[in-house]
Amino acid sequence: MGIRWQKPIFKALAIGLFVFIVVGPLSSVVLWSVAIKWYWPHVLPQEIGLAYWKQALGLQRDWAIAAVSIWDAFKNSMIVSIVATVITMALAIPAAYALAKLRLPLKAVFLLLFLMPKVFPQQPIFVNLLPVFTRWGLAGTLPGVMLIHILVCLLFGTWISTSAFKAIPESLEEAARSVGATRWQAFWRILMPLAAPGLLVSTVFVFVTSLTEFTGTFFLGLPFVTTLPMLLYSASGYNMQFASVLALVLLVPSLLFMVLTERIFRPEHLGSLGR
Amino acid sequence: MPQVKLFDVTKRYGKVTAVDRLSLIIEDQEMVTFLGPSGCGKTTTLRCIAGFVVPDAGHIFIGDQDVTNIPPERRDIGFVFQNFALWPHMTVYQNLAFGLRLRKLPKREIKERVHDALALVRMTGLEDRFPRQLSGGQQQRVALARALVLRPRVLLLDEPLSNLDAKLREEMRFEIRELQRQLQITAVYVTHDQAEALVLSDRIVVLNHGRIEQIGTPQEIYQRPASQFVASFIGLCSFMEAHVVESSAERVLMRTEDGLVIETMSKGLSLGQAVTLALRPEFIDVSWTKPENSQNVFQAQLVRFAYLGENLDCWLKVGKWDVRVHLPASRVQKLDQQLWVRLNPEKIIVIPTEGVLL
Ligand SMILES: Nc1ncnc2c1ncn2[C@@H]1O[C@H](COP(=O)(O)OP(=O)(O)O)[C@@H](O)[C@H]1O
Ligand SMILES: [Mg+2]
Repeated sequence: MGIRWQKPIFKALAIGLFVFIVVGPLSSVVLWSVAIKWYWPHVLPQEIGLAYWKQALGLQRDWAIAAVSIWDAFKNSMIVSIVATVITMALAIPAAYALAKLRLPLKAVFLLLFLMPKVFPQQPIFVNLLPVFTRWGLAGTLPGVMLIHILVCLLFGTWISTSAFKAIPESLEEAARSVGATRWQAFWRILMPLAAPGLLVSTVFVFVTSLTEFTGTFFLGLPFVTTLPMLLYSASGYNMQFASVLALVLLVPSLLFMVLTERIFRPEHLGSLGR
Repeated sequence: MPQVKLFDVTKRYGKVTAVDRLSLIIEDQEMVTFLGPSGCGKTTTLRCIAGFVVPDAGHIFIGDQDVTNIPPERRDIGFVFQNFALWPHMTVYQNLAFGLRLRKLPKREIKERVHDALALVRMTGLEDRFPRQLSGGQQQRVALARALVLRPRVLLLDEPLSNLDAKLREEMRFEIRELQRQLQITAVYVTHDQAEALVLSDRIVVLNHGRIEQIGTPQEIYQRPASQFVASFIGLCSFMEAHVVESSAERVLMRTEDGLVIETMSKGLSLGQAVTLALRPEFIDVSWTKPENSQNVFQAQLVRFAYLGENLDCWLKVGKWDVRVHLPASRVQKLDQQLWVRLNPEKIIVIPTEGVLL
């Protein structure tokens, strides 16, 4: 009975919260990206225009406007994120399967090893990696940045993928075995299709994580590899317009992915690993 | 000739011994039931036969083949799961065809065999449904068909009916038994439901703590339980502790510690031996007046009853012992009513209590 009036209230609260958290800052970002002139204490920009957008997208080149073409960084970001996502998931899926389905003697140790980079602050790790990367000729290269992204993303990827596999009852795999499927066949024909929604969510997370990765790229990629977050960082603080344009550009792929996966996005895919 | 043979099969989980040196031969075309309380090792034993669990020790044969270390996909078994375990992303047809496709059979043959298997479980016409579009009973039939469509050497069923409602469960018992006979397939059936076991089995294997308590036909298990555990698990049973006070050619007398002297027909007991007397409700005649023949007649008091419809489930006090009987509702008047019970000497089950001498 209580649910009848509670539900709409919950909904309204949820929507309000969503608007406040997401749309609020977002609208100011949108405003900033088109603001040519916006001085305190004005509530709205005094002058608006698409100059920063045009400059950022390489449609015009005006030295008076402090924005550079983002295409190189955009291209770098896309290449790095796509490759890093593919490789991360190629590693994360088998790892997740093993964690979820196999009885590994050292599972706990493995998990701990796995969580280490998240427990320690990342900066010292990256700083220490720099000489190693330099020795291997990876510092300041696209493959080097990809590698660091993979390291950063592997935890998320494996974590969420493990939940996807764990959500599948053991008996579904066993039923496949009982009718003659090998472990391999059961994996491809039963587990993968059933885990697909969760794995897709995992892929989105990995992609977005890589796309917005900053620290590792900063230490090991600059100055030769510039990605969108690098541009954003250097623009933020002194150039709100260009930073806002970048922020919105960064949002596009994420939003696209979200929309694509919204229908299969279910909370249980984020369930715990330790179950 | 696919007998299933288990030799000293043992499986431990940490400190728990789920299956404890279990040996058993299941004959060709026989339907054997593993019966026992939850946690007694029924499922683990069945899963050892299926190959989902590798025993720590012992050997398992299907036919002449030692399958102990052979993975499940090469054992040629059919398995029916408690939760049905139909693949939710496949239609009924695809669920049944999956195993046939793995065997690379021609399309036409696959179609025929799926059709036949569905007809067998009376599910024709539901080929294109997804599992979530079926009722529990229908899902179970499809699961059964999926296990049978490959014509396995052995059919293994783990509490396949426990997720169905009572009425359906009763119907399905007969259907499964009928199918097993018709297909002449060797089958192992796991249940904790004694009624299911009695209806379904050629032989029942009663398990307790991973060990076999008794193997026998339903009649043997019911009429001659080998232990108090078996007697209490199958059918309604009341118990009295006693010891042998006379053992001659004519009669055997038992005496309970509160002084009831009970005559039985069991042979081969020695004087002073401790025994448990097991009494089924139907072995006990109840009268409301004192019978003339006073052999094995004792006074009793009605202490509790539960309404079962036509009959009442009654708890009587005989001496210090609780005795359960079923009485017609019309004849029971009130609690604390005085009654007389006669224990049929031919029917009383005498179970020697090991090791205790008085
Ligand atoms: N995978 C497992 N891990 C740990 N213990 C288990 C496992 N499977 C079964 N057991 C234990 O083994 C015993 C027998 O279990 P099981 O064969 O499932 O019993 P039943 O099917 O008769 O209820 C139980 O004590 C159970 O807790
Ligand atoms: Mg069980």
